[in-house]
Formats: sequence, structure tokens, C-alpha cells
Amino acid sequence: MMSLTNREAFGVTDLRLVFPKEKDLFLKDLTFQYHQGEKILFLGPSGCGKSTLLQVLSGLIPNSIEIPIKTKDSRIPKRCGIIFQDPETQFCMPYVDEEIAFVLENQQVPKDDMKDLIDQYLTAVGLKLNHRHQLISTLSGGMKQRLAVASVLALKPDVLFLDEPTALLDPKGTEDLWKTVQTISKDKTLIIVEHKIDHVIDFVDRIVLFNFNGQIIADGPKELIFNQYKSELRQYGIWHPGIWEETFPEEEILKLPQEVSTDPRLILKNFRAYRGKQVKFEVSQFQINKGEWVAIVGENGAGKSTFIEGMMDLIKTKGDRIWKVKNEKDDVSFLFQNPEYQFVTDSVEEEMAFGLVIRGGEEEEIQLKVNDALRLFNLDHVRHLHPFQLSIGQKRRLSVASSIIHKPSVILLDEPTFGQDARNTFSLLRQFETMREEGTTLIMVTHEEEIVHRLATRKIRIHNGRIKSDEKTKRGMQLEGVVT
Amino acid sequence: MNTYWNPNQKWLARVNPSLKFLTIAAIFMIYLFVHNFNVMLVSSFAFFIFYLFCNGFSKKLSFWLVAMTFILSVFSASAMVFFGKGTHMLFEWHLITISIESMTRGLHLGLRTFVYGMLGLIFASTTEPVPFFYSVMQQLRIPPKYAYSFLAAFRLIPIMIEEYRIIRAAMKVRGMSEEKGLRAFYRRMKRYAIILLAQAIRRAQRIAVAMEAKQFSMVKKRTYYYQIGFSRYDVLFTCLILLIIIGSWIFSSYVPLTPYNNVLERSY
Repeated sequence: MMSLTNREAFGVTDLRLVFPKEKDLFLKDLTFQYHQGEKILFLGPSGCGKSTLLQVLSGLIPNSIEIPIKTKDSRIPKRCGIIFQDPETQFCMPYVDEEIAFVLENQQVPKDDMKDLIDQYLTAVGLKLNHRHQLISTLSGGMKQRLAVASVLALKPDVLFLDEPTALLDPKGTEDLWKTVQTISKDKTLIIVEHKIDHVIDFVDRIVLFNFNGQIIADGPKELIFNQYKSELRQYGIWHPGIWEETFPEEEILKLPQEVSTDPRLILKNFRAYRGKQVKFEVSQFQINKGEWVAIVGENGAGKSTFIEGMMDLIKTKGDRIWKVKNEKDDVSFLFQNPEYQFVTDSVEEEMAFGLVIRGGEEEEIQLKVNDALRLFNLDHVRHLHPFQLSIGQKRRLSVASSIIHKPSVILLDEPTFGQDARNTFSLLRQFETMREEGTTLIMVTHEEEIVHRLATRKIRIHNGRIKSDEKTKRGMQLEGVVT
Repeated sequence: MNTYWNPNQKWLARVNPSLKFLTIAAIFMIYLFVHNFNVMLVSSFAFFIFYLFCNGFSKKLSFWLVAMTFILSVFSASAMVFFGKGTHMLFEWHLITISIESMTRGLHLGLRTFVYGMLGLIFASTTEPVPFFYSVMQQLRIPPKYAYSFLAAFRLIPIMIEEYRIIRAAMKVRGMSEEKGLRAFYRRMKRYAIILLAQAIRRAQRIAVAMEAKQFSMVKKRTYYYQIGFSRYDVLFTCLILLIIIGSWIFSSYVPLTPYNNVLERSY
């Protein structure tokens, strides 16, 4: 690093930070320095303080987010841009051009220069729109994030901070965003917090590794960190190349116990699902059997969610929809993408019991089942908290646990692993596989190719509101082999 | 913003939004003090015609909005028509007493509601939020922090509507909508409120931080992407409004359609 010392240096020395109403320091005596031009990736378990540090380094804390901090020395870059996680909450204007103009106005750029600059920034991030005056709400998540980059470019930043910008994007959006960042950041400093490192890894050169307590345990060139800290990476739930093969080796999965059945669970005939008055999904003949793990894939807006919401009768449908289960209400469960929407009580414990209470049951028996589930899903220590106070992973676990506690025979899931770190994803998938082995049918909308390829038994591709292909996966074919 | 509402097609969209806003607010005030039933009658008709020719809604939406305004006007009229005081009785039945005085006053109130409704719809259907807030910043010197907070809030509305749809579905899935009775209804409402508010507050906070991260500042001067000025449409708009108001006065003083020139007078 000697060669870098002549460049401008930024960072904090002996940072102490405490959240209001908390007793313990969240970050204690943390020192982190960086130089202009460096491309740095922060890795560590969820909730370890990486994002908080990023906010301190960019000056958001304490200027915009009022959290008390103390430092011996802090050097914050004057011109910096920040890209946040949620594509929905980075904009304040309805149209694309107006959003970039908002940033230009803040810097008192003359009106006459604005249109050219807006076009220039949109081109830089590869957003090809028919017209710059387009509604932001018509863009996909990935395009919104690229717009966020474009509007940040208007700040002419020396340093770009990216706080898990792809956590809520699909694989295509993720790849495009990182390509964009790579092209625009040639002469810029980058500091990135990210869990999915497949694409980032190509262009960062320094990795900083945090542990559960928010301490930096390693800081150095990426090759070094990857070679020496493999087990930590896995322990912290960081997505890294090869993690799927390590966790779910293809050969091993094919050896797992396979329950085989041709009992139908769901039959659809001349089925149409509507959004408003428009038919958004249709199929003439369709069947799902007991013990299948059906993965539904396809582009954004192809009709995947419409398909499963239609199966569940959450939207207007026409045609025959026959569930071959005892009682549709009790035996078919549905999991929404955002777990928060389906919490209906004020504590984790009540949430877990809710499904059993409304179906009627002995109080003692319910209590026993709830205790078991809390232990199984590792939520015992937070049983008295409000569901909204949980971490992202805990929320997801609670929503899964509370939807399956009454043992439904079919579960529909809308991107259940979305935004989860590797550790949470794998523990959920293991849980799903156990249920499948017990005969539960899983119908899952997912963007994750690895889940489809390793765990699912059947893959359905949706395109333009229709089933484009419906085929058995390798695993599913093996199942079929056992039948005959 | 969508197919139902396309303010930009109409010439009224080019009228300076601040001027339009202040003019309509002024008419609201003026018509509070109009007690001549004939004037009210003529001008409600005139504003209705004005609305029909100049609104920016689709025909279908426009029909329903006018129908709703009409129903609202009938309601506000009925309160006075049925229960107002008066000496010339037309109809009496238990509590309901209709006199000529209460009838005219009631209809007068109803027409006033109708005029206000038409004006409100004219404004809403031809004014987009962005030009409106740019204009109030530029012409009325409203500080940008208020204008941009409103604009940011507008973005949250469709998100909240979609969220409401999902929560309703989620409640159905969890079995919440099975429960009947007042307590269950209260519990459901509480759930909607908690979830929608929690999400909205978090979003609002994130947007605020993102805006500050983009160097939005409460104090600094700023330039404007849109310069909202005045044009011949402003003259046209002002003239038309004046024509309607003055015209309906003159018309009713020459051709009084009814004998009720002052609804506040006790007897005729």
C-alpha cells in the first residue's frame, strides 16, 4: 500500500457509535482508512455494522441520520454519492428526467445545461429510454437502481458508496447493475457492502472482513481473503462462488430419500387469472402432484405471481381450480415475498400460535407445538418481541414457521429466499426439503437458478402469461425413473 | 399518470398553476357571499359547462365524478330543505317541514356545493403535481422543503395502494378475514394501520435520507428544471372566469329566472 500514500486519504480513527436507547456500543474503537482510487468490498454477517460504518464514512451519520458518534479523527470526502438498497425509496420525483434534474438543481446547475447533462448520465449508466421524460414507476427494479446511479453521478462524486444495491434485484438486474458500476467507476473510489459477490468480485481489489461484533478481522487483497478465510465466509452467510456446491452437492441431493407419488394435489382446467380486467395468466390443462417441488421461473412481469395468486384464489379467476386436499383453507398455505405483510399479531409467540388458535385446538397442545416450532426455527430467544422488531432473517423464518405450523399439504411461496443471506437461505431450503420428504408439495416462484437446478423436481417457465415450458429437472427425472 | 387522468391534453394545463389555484380559491370566497339564488343558478350552470369542455378526465371517470358531486350537492341541500325554518309552508310531516324559504335556501346551498365541486374538479383534472409545486415555489415563494416533501409523498400513494391489496390478500391467507363481528373488524383495521404506517414511516425516512444524500438542502439557493411562467392562456382563463361571474350577475338582474333574489330574506 506504500504507493498509495501520496493520494488523498479518507476514513475514521477510533470510531465509537451507540444507537439511542441501547446500552452497549455498537461499534467500538473502529479504525478504517482508505485512499482515493481504491475499490473496496465490505463483507460480514448481517447486522454486524458494515452498513452503519458505510454511513459514517459517507457522512450520512451524523449529518442526516442523528446517531451519536465519537472519533479521534474523521475525514469524509467532500463529493460522494450513495446508492441504497431499496429501489423504491431513493427518488422524490415521478419522472426519470425530473429526478436527475433534482440533483442538478441542488447544485445550482443552470437550467439550460440540464437536458444535455441528464442525457449524458442516462447514457453513462446504459439506460436506454424512449424518452427521458418517463415515469419512474414503469421501470424495473434493476433499471431503478441504474437510475439511482445516474442521479448520483450528477453529484460528480469522487467516492461512491453502495449499500447492498442488489439485495432486492433479480439476477439479470444484479448483473446489469454491476456492469454499469464497473464502467462508470474507472477513476472513482468505490466502497461496497454486498452479500452476493459473484459479479462484484471481478473489479474490487481490497476486501474488509467483519465479524459478528463489528470488528474488522481481516483487511487485504481479495485473493488473500478468499484463500485464508473460507470458513468465515461460509459462517457469515456470504454468497461466494462455489457455495451451492459446498452446501447442496448435486450428487448428494440425488441420493436423498425421494418419496414418489402420482397423486394429484391441484388440477387446473381452462384456467385464467385476471389483474383488473386483463387476463394475465392462462393455462388449459395443468396438474401438480404430491411431493413435487415445482419451481416457477420467468422474467419480471411474465405472470409468475399472478399464476400462484390465482391458484390461491387471491385474485379474480375463471375456469376450474380443483384442490385435491381435505380442506382447501387448512391444507394450502401461501407465503408472500415480504414477510411483514402477513404478520397479524403483536408478538412472535402469538404469531406462531395464530394458525392453530383459529383452527381451534387444546391450549396445552398449542403451547407445546409453538414451543417446538420456536426452537426448531431458532426464534426462542425473541419470542416476546414484536414481529416487526426482528431481523430480516428472523422475520422470514417466523413467516415460514407460522404458515406451516398446522402442517399444510401444499405450500405456495413467492420468492421466499429473496434478500436473504446465504445462511438463512440454506436453512430455509433445508426446511423445505424436509417438508417435501414428508409429502408436502412445494410450489415456488424463484429467480435463483441454483434452487431450480439442485433442489426442484420440476421447472415451469412462464412467458407472457402462459406456460412456455414445463419439464422435469434431473432430480425429477430420477424420481420418475423410480416410478417405472 | 394513467389512462384515466391526462391533464396535459387540455389548455387549462398550461395556465399558471399558482394563478389557477389562487383564482379558484378566490371564487370559493366570493361565492360564500352570494345570496342571490338566480345568480347561483346561472353560474352553477356556467361552471358546469366550463367543466364539461375543459376537464382533463376520461369521459367515464368524469361521469362518475360529476354524479358524485351531484349526489353530494343533493345531500347538502336536503339538510336545509327538509329541516330549515320558514313561514310559507309547502309540506309538513312530523319533523320534516318544507317551506318556500327552506326550499330556496336548501337549493342554494346545494348549488354552492355543486359549484365548489366543479371548480375543484377543474383544478384537479388539469394540474399535475410537479408543475404545481414548481410554480408555488417560483411564484408564491413557498420554501422548497415543503414543496419537495409533498412531491416525495405523491410517490408513496400508489405504493401504499398496492400494499393495501397485498395485506388484504395476506389476511385472507392467514384466516383473519374469516372472523366476524365488531372486534374482528377492529383487529383487522388495527393490522392495516400498523403495517401501512410502519412501512410508510420507514419509506419516508429513507426517502428523506436519500434526498439529503443528493445534497438537497433547506437553505441553499437552487436552480429550476422547469421555469413556470405566464402565457396567453392565463389571460384567457382569467377572462373566462370573470365572464362567468359577471355574466351571471348581469343575466340574472335582467332575466331573473326565479323571484328569489336574496335567500337570507325571511319572506317574499
